[in-house]
Amino acid sequence: MDLKLTQSTVNKTKQHIQTAQQWDVIVIGAGVVGCAIVRQLTLNGLKVLLLERGADILSGASKANSAILHTGFDAVANSLELECMRAGYKEYIEIRHKLNLPLLKTGALLVAWNEQQLSQLPSIVSKAHENGSDDVKQIDLPDLIKREPNLSNNALGAVEISQEYVIDPWSAPLAYVTQAAKAGAQYQFNCEVTDGEFDGKLWCLETTIDKYKAKLVINCSGNNGDIVQSICETPKFAIKPRKGQFIVFDKSAYGLVNSIILPVPTATTKGVVITKTIFGNLLLGPTAEEQQDRYDTSVDANILQNLFACGVKMLPDLEHHGITATYAGLRPATQFKDYQIEANPSKNWVGVNGIRSTGLTSALGIAKYVEKLCLENFADIVPFNNLKDIYWPQMPNLAAHKPRAFEIGDGTEIICHCEHVTRGQLESALKSEIAAKSVGGIRRRTRVMMGRCNGFYCSAKVSELTKGAISPPQDSDGGKND
Amino acid sequence: MTDFDSDFNCDVAIIGSGPAGIGAATALAERGVKNITIFEREEHIGGIPRHTKHLTFGLVAFKRPMTGPAFIKKILARCKNVTIRTNISVIAIKQDSTFEVATAQGLQTVKAKHIILATGARESTRHARLVSGMRPRGIVSTAALQQFIYSFGARPFNQAVVVGTELVSFSAIWTLWRAKIKPVAMIERNHRITAYRPAVLLAKILRVPIYYNSQITNIESINTLKAVSIMSDSGVKQVLNCDGIIFSGKFVGENSLAVASHLLLNPQTDIPFIDENWQTSDSDVTVIGNAVHPADMGDQCYLEGLKLGSFLADKLAQNTVNSAEFIPIEHSSDIKMTTPNMVRLDNETSKTINICFHVSKIYWGLVTVKFAGKTVYKKRHRCMPARRITLKNIRLDPFDINDKTSIEICFS
Repeated sequence: MDLKLTQSTVNKTKQHIQTAQQWDVIVIGAGVVGCAIVRQLTLNGLKVLLLERGADILSGASKANSAILHTGFDAVANSLELECMRAGYKEYIEIRHKLNLPLLKTGALLVAWNEQQLSQLPSIVSKAHENGSDDVKQIDLPDLIKREPNLSNNALGAVEISQEYVIDPWSAPLAYVTQAAKAGAQYQFNCEVTDGEFDGKLWCLETTIDKYKAKLVINCSGNNGDIVQSICETPKFAIKPRKGQFIVFDKSAYGLVNSIILPVPTATTKGVVITKTIFGNLLLGPTAEEQQDRYDTSVDANILQNLFACGVKMLPDLEHHGITATYAGLRPATQFKDYQIEANPSKNWVGVNGIRSTGLTSALGIAKYVEKLCLENFADIVPFNNLKDIYWPQMPNLAAHKPRAFEIGDGTEIICHCEHVTRGQLESALKSEIAAKSVGGIRRRTRVMMGRCNGFYCSAKVSELTKGAISPPQDSDGGKND
Repeated sequence: MTDFDSDFNCDVAIIGSGPAGIGAATALAERGVKNITIFEREEHIGGIPRHTKHLTFGLVAFKRPMTGPAFIKKILARCKNVTIRTNISVIAIKQDSTFEVATAQGLQTVKAKHIILATGARESTRHARLVSGMRPRGIVSTAALQQFIYSFGARPFNQAVVVGTELVSFSAIWTLWRAKIKPVAMIERNHRITAYRPAVLLAKILRVPIYYNSQITNIESINTLKAVSIMSDSGVKQVLNCDGIIFSGKFVGENSLAVASHLLLNPQTDIPFIDENWQTSDSDVTVIGNAVHPADMGDQCYLEGLKLGSFLADKLAQNTVNSAEFIPIEHSSDIKMTTPNMVRLDNETSKTINICFHVSKIYWGLVTVKFAGKTVYKKRHRCMPARRITLKNIRLDPFDINDKTSIEICFS
């Protein structure tokens, strides 16, 4: 029965997109980077098609991160990553009001937990200043205690990064791709690119749904970056997925910290962070484990227990708060530290790869950089033409610190009691421009079933309310999880 | 803004319409208290029993077994002169017995003379238990399963593994069987089932194997849930194919309103402090039912509600304030929680109380209660998780109460 459903969905979407059509650009991968690039290019008047193997945007690496808008204070100097982060940060701040995207101005404190770490703080400050983060400064222990009275007394001192903020990791990319879709971009989900051929003028991509033609292909396929890249060329990099596991604490823990609590980074990882989430929870993570599998986002009980213990060591009160969720994300790391963004001028291809943990911050900056690459290499084949009337969609607010639907009153009752999601919100998410088509999609658009009870109260009701709109009923996202 | 001109203002506000809330409303109304309102966030009243269509209700309160919905109907018939408001979510409990509710038109602040929190309990989740594996669909609680099947006639999967062997876990395999979903297995951490032993018969009749001393080591999925891997304490591994997992039991109180409020919490259990009359640290707020003792039978919650209602009606009539000293009941982590978890004592009056508790580990042996260092109770008990253990008639004599006075429950 499921198979039939899938087939009918496929037929329907086939009619929707005329396959004889040809696009200026095909973007492969609807992660945060793909969404931002589709937006940037569409707003430049290009005809863009977005192909995604999952059932929704953000089905892979982008759905699981720490949701921090980084300043890049600790990024590698003169790196492309730093350039894109700074540009992405700046543009997010500029456009967020127009898209109704939230920003929780927490600031961050990078805390030293031993003498050796304490001795590293001055060099972290000077490196931050070299990176252009002039606001970064060291603070002493009394100041740290005043700001974060709940930290354990092992803390010795800290560096303040006042402009590191918390954002909504799901609504932001959804806003980018919604804006693009309103301006004419098209998209196809459940559509995995399997192969492709370039005839010197046009790319013809083979997918699990159909063949699609475009003048230019942009590969943003995250953890499948090298596989997709090999359609065009022998990749110069290999994706080495690095797993990060997280624990989300109940809303009662939200106020335990004021700032984002960062550790002193090591050579391999930025380390375990404690941060508020924009949704009013407290997040602990990530861990860092290298693995071969590109889809295995399983969590590990022992690692989670260690992570929990590590959290309690920094913030003893955590022990008194319930765990709402655990999850794991895979960072599309490569053997290189920096991003691997390159145009192949002879093959009309741009590879946007190795976007590790900073993609949420840098996405808009990466999109600008890709635009520049296109102008430099492909100006003759893809004509840029700034759109005059740009539509700015207003994203429904999910942030806890701003008025939400249930507080204002949208004329409907609350369905999900832990996250206070109204029936009206669910209905809008099913009707929106980029409508939720999977359980993961509706969860990310509304927060439904994301709370402490994990659907104890509302999952059956939500399933009933979304019947028919989410098909097939037992689907999951491309990341094989919801 | 005018102060508290809400249509919802009332004398006693009861939050939650499960057996405890209905019981409290009934007794209050029968004793002549006016302006009682029950606030229920769901569309229908009744709480968890609403979707439990098994004969696990009524035996204690009415001497005959009945289903959850029948039980609710029966107790509602006695509950008169009480306003019931559904689809109203209480969002926050504030000082001075005010609280905030969300309606379809937004938030408003409501004023009452007394607030009763009867918010019930829920099963603990896969995430809270820190289980390894993927996060596919098809991982639910027993309550969600029963709603899928009994409230919406849905069949969310074809073959399911049940984690836990509490009474509710057997309810889960029975629900599965009735919905023609194959109960693949039950998984139990201990060497015996948590429910009373005869429950094993149900598993035998339904041919559901129980894996003892075992726990889940992985949840496998490729697009959808495929299997769970389990391992026993002796290292034996098994892979059980399934497309559903029910994490049953391990109830926790749904105390998010109390936790976020000004009410003092017992630091050992993070459950609101309540005395022998369910009074919290704020004399205008009471917490009863499974919110404070997750989770006893619906009957017990109903009877508790009736008892509290009577007590509270007298208290409201006399307008008394809790002035006595507040002595916490302390215990090791082998005890999940106690009710009461504090006692109000003054220097003049003796008190005889019962203490109920649940354990987190099996313990058969001597249970001692010490009051200010003196043994006031000593008896053997068979303590099993998920069961109410009652220590009866503990006499606490007045004496010089000082800061260090405590009541302590010891296993020895």
